[in-house]
Amino acid sequence: MTSLFDQLQDTALLDEWRQGLPATTRSTGLDTRELLAPLYLAIMKELKDHEPPFALAEAPAALTEALRAWVAAPARTGGSPTEPIVALLGLKQLLLREIGARAPAELSTALARFERVFDALTLLTFETFAAVRERLINAQSASLMELSTPVLRLWHQVLLLPLIGVVDTQRASQITESLLEAIVQYEARVTILDLSGVPVLDTSVAQHLMKTIDAARLLGTRIVMTGISPEGAQTLTKLGIRFNDVISRATLRAGIAEALLMVGRRIAPLSGAGTTAVPMGPPVLPTTLPPAMPPRGGQAS
Amino acid sequence: MKIPILRLDRVLLVSIQADLSDNDAMEFQSDLVTRVAEVEALGVAIDITALDVVDSYMARVINDTASMVRLLGAEVVICGVQPFVALTLVEMGRDLLGADCTFNLGEGLALLRQRIAKRGDVRFTEDEDV
Repeated sequence: MTSLFDQLQDTALLDEWRQGLPATTRSTGLDTRELLAPLYLAIMKELKDHEPPFALAEAPAALTEALRAWVAAPARTGGSPTEPIVALLGLKQLLLREIGARAPAELSTALARFERVFDALTLLTFETFAAVRERLINAQSASLMELSTPVLRLWHQVLLLPLIGVVDTQRASQITESLLEAIVQYEARVTILDLSGVPVLDTSVAQHLMKTIDAARLLGTRIVMTGISPEGAQTLTKLGIRFNDVISRATLRAGIAEALLMVGRRIAPLSGAGTTAVPMGPPVLPTTLPPAMPPRGGQAS
Repeated sequence: MKIPILRLDRVLLVSIQADLSDNDAMEFQSDLVTRVAEVEALGVAIDITALDVVDSYMARVINDTASMVRLLGAEVVICGVQPFVALTLVEMGRDLLGADCTFNLGEGLALLRQRIAKRGDVRFTEDEDV
């Protein structure tokens, strides 16, 4: 066999391979000669020198390097993973033809048919697997999006929207949408917007926030912002962004207290006992009732 | 010149005694903001009784500082604006102090106390853990 592969070491075959690549692989840069040539030579060298069986782990560095460089282009530009495989199988067919030409006719046709069937099977398996995996990833990223912007019902008529991570345009519109829906659904009078988890407050984030706040206000809820860092406060002010008549509190804790006050509730210790003592007996009903508050308009802003 | 920031419980008190250079003003601003976050201040009184002249830059610094402090959840009052200062600021057409102003520090602190008493986080002090 070695002598046979020695005969095949010519670049005419490389050119033929390159010409015969399907049109789709061409658009993704798989037919770049500078990438194909080293790969071709590495494969040929492997065929000539390497003793079977061929194990993936012991592939020589030259071959893996050449392959990686070649595959990276379509991987980056978003091409299908089947394209390089189709291209590789093209080379295989070419080589098979050359080998077949030097072998008895009967054997070569049988071999060719056998190869074709298994090539097709390989491709199909790969494609199916990739499609299923992709669907899974899409579903996961969609649910991740929803998870990342939960609107929590803190108390009757009090909502909490903890913002975590970078707020970009897409997320901002999603946040606004789900928040408005929740406000209407629960008839929230107060909405707490917690920004503790937002790493950077810049113009675009602030503008998105403003839109969300304005829209929420139109529905008749009042907004309490919490968790702005000192750096964030400085940035916002220096950018000339003013959140007029939005109540802002340093911590979520203070924000919750404020929001509860607005709906006429309060957090009070059970019974008059010391604040640190935990009642051990049966639960004690609070003796201090929430202060009687005149019902607020809710629409006031 | 570093401006001392005095602390009375959860109220911070700053008194600007002399004209500040631009750098000093910026330093004052970031010092105050950091301190407000640090002690979770509920109120800040900025006393400018000693200032005879407030230029537009200084007015802006004070105004910005007040906005920042408010974003951090504290109430702000500005105390002791001199008549001449008030006049020049009005003539400059600047809406100088978005924050409320009082005659003197005493009244400023009284106003702060009154405002703070209305707030939710102070009404629930039974379970304060700070």
